[in-house]
Amino acid sequence: MSRLLRAVLLVLSAASVAVGLVAAHLLVGRSELSAGEVVEVLTGRSDHGAARVIVLRYRLPRVLLGLGAGALLAMSGVLVQAVVRNPLAEPATTGVGSGAALGVVAATMLGFHATYAAALVGALGAGLLLLLLGRRSPAVAGILLGAVLAAVTALLLVVDSSPTSSVMRWLVGSLNARTAGDWSALWPWLATLPVAAWLLAPWMNAWALGAAQAISLGVPVRTTRVVVLVVAVVAAAVAIAAAGAVAFVGLVAPHVARLLVGSDHRLLVPVSAALGAVLLAGSDLIAFSVGIDLPGARDVAGVPVGAVTALLGAPVLVHLVRKELR
Amino acid sequence: MYRSLVVAAGAAALLAAALLTSLAVGAATLSPPELLLALTDPQHPVHVSALHVRLPRALLGAVAGAGLAAAGVLLQDALGNPVAGPELLGVSSGAAVVAATATVLHLPVPLQVLPLLSLAGALAAGLVVVLAVGPGSGPGASTRVVLVGAAVTAACGGVVVAVIGLGTEGDVVLLMRYLLGSLSARGWNDLAVVALGVVPALLAALLLTRSVAALRLGDHVATGLGVSVARVRLMALLVASLAAATVAAICGPVAYVALLAPHVARAAAGTTSTPLVLLVAAPVGSTLLVVADLASRTAFYPVEVPVGIATTLVGVPLLALLTLRGRPA
Repeated sequence: MSRLLRAVLLVLSAASVAVGLVAAHLLVGRSELSAGEVVEVLTGRSDHGAARVIVLRYRLPRVLLGLGAGALLAMSGVLVQAVVRNPLAEPATTGVGSGAALGVVAATMLGFHATYAAALVGALGAGLLLLLLGRRSPAVAGILLGAVLAAVTALLLVVDSSPTSSVMRWLVGSLNARTAGDWSALWPWLATLPVAAWLLAPWMNAWALGAAQAISLGVPVRTTRVVVLVVAVVAAAVAIAAAGAVAFVGLVAPHVARLLVGSDHRLLVPVSAALGAVLLAGSDLIAFSVGIDLPGARDVAGVPVGAVTALLGAPVLVHLVRKELR
Repeated sequence: MYRSLVVAAGAAALLAAALLTSLAVGAATLSPPELLLALTDPQHPVHVSALHVRLPRALLGAVAGAGLAAAGVLLQDALGNPVAGPELLGVSSGAAVVAATATVLHLPVPLQVLPLLSLAGALAAGLVVVLAVGPGSGPGASTRVVLVGAAVTAACGGVVVAVIGLGTEGDVVLLMRYLLGSLSARGWNDLAVVALGVVPALLAALLLTRSVAALRLGDHVATGLGVSVARVRLMALLVASLAAATVAAICGPVAYVALLAPHVARAAAGTTSTPLVLLVAAPVGSTLLVVADLASRTAFYPVEVPVGIATTLVGVPLLALLTLRGRPA
């Protein structure tokens, strides 16, 4: 019971941090908006056109995207780690990030500028390939698939380097210049996939005991693995299409959650998602605030959130491995 | 034994043919007699490009390929892991951190010094992994290498990502080429640096092979045979780091050569004996890299593709065949 209580408290405190992050994101930016103006816009009583655009089209979607993509990445991490039973697996291990990048590069070269759709198609295509090729050994297949897709992407970029800057945002992970359209593409997934993951949690608990035990508990093992992998890959694909292949969120959030609430997936899924959401949106706040003051910040597109999560996540990973070794 | 020697000789002959082709094919394609003339006669119109561009580049491919293959053999046999490769040691990511920082932040580093700095980064990453793993033995030793290597690689990767995020478009295009591995525009100086690392590493590898072969029998049997398991494993890791680090510093991470050459050698020579595999794998690795480099500079001529792309596109399907046939992981 204490674990359940702790999980509830964690989710609640993550939610309150998320509210704080939303407030901070709405108030921080190049254009000075007072708290009163922001509240007026949110309650629909503002007739200040520019403020409405800034808040509703840019700032609010950006923080919501950060929270949503972070939650989906962390959740996908839990599922991938459950399927391959490897604590170092993460959404990037499935190759969908490379698929998204390839989609963007190919579409830009063919003259389409719907980069979000291209990233989504590429990511889902890579996920489909993984499901077709890697049923037996998804971890190895995902890494190999990612390597091939990355090589093809690099090959295309050598032939024509013009999409490099637009694809970097998917390779590194960035929420800069995301707008309301990106959010409206993400929220339907956010409303459905976590529910699916939570419903799969008892199966994942059984599978964690080992294949033989899972079978004797009456779990349809093969179906379970495929269904969990599908949910994991789709979650990673939509999150990466929205925010890019942000490093370490899908790896670190599940591990921290496991430290805090143990390995029961019914608690692990919601707690990881909550932590991932806060982690990504918080890192994005850091990236954005640093980017404003950086010399020459107006020339580059801003500091990508992937850089911040990478710098924050790497020491955590090293710590995790050291602990694993004891 | 004889089969291995024949295969090694065959691989060496293939390597010679690959080197000759690589020297002859390019912007100006030369016949063998013409090639000889171009290399020896200072008045010949392509003398400079043959002697100072094509020759060092081809030899660099051969030396680097042999070094990577030796690193692969040592790692796979010393760790008992058939998919081990120098990427486990984090050396190329260590080199990448230095290269990325210098490129993107425009550090005032002379071009001649940059490879040495990258080498320092690569060796530092390799040493961190080897020292963190320690001279341990027992069933956990290989797992420890994999975990620590993955952590160091990921940490360095994080730094590279962060640095790339700060770069302007031109820097990033430049950097991407290095991060894929390339033999383009490397001269005699680069060859000298790589040879200084790879040749001693190859000799040390030859000396180590008998002890490493004993490790493959399991730690207990190896100890019973009088092999100091922990020390041999540490030496193997250090030698592999030296070879892989020098290659990574000059050529970037040339993927999959170190992984594939030993497998190809084992299949072709029909043996798993470490000394024989090393003997065959070295010329096989050289040939692989020289041919891949030839393909990557001629396939889309005049555009040059980084050689890492070619080795990945060839390496991954072969690796998939080798690994995915086994039981589910």
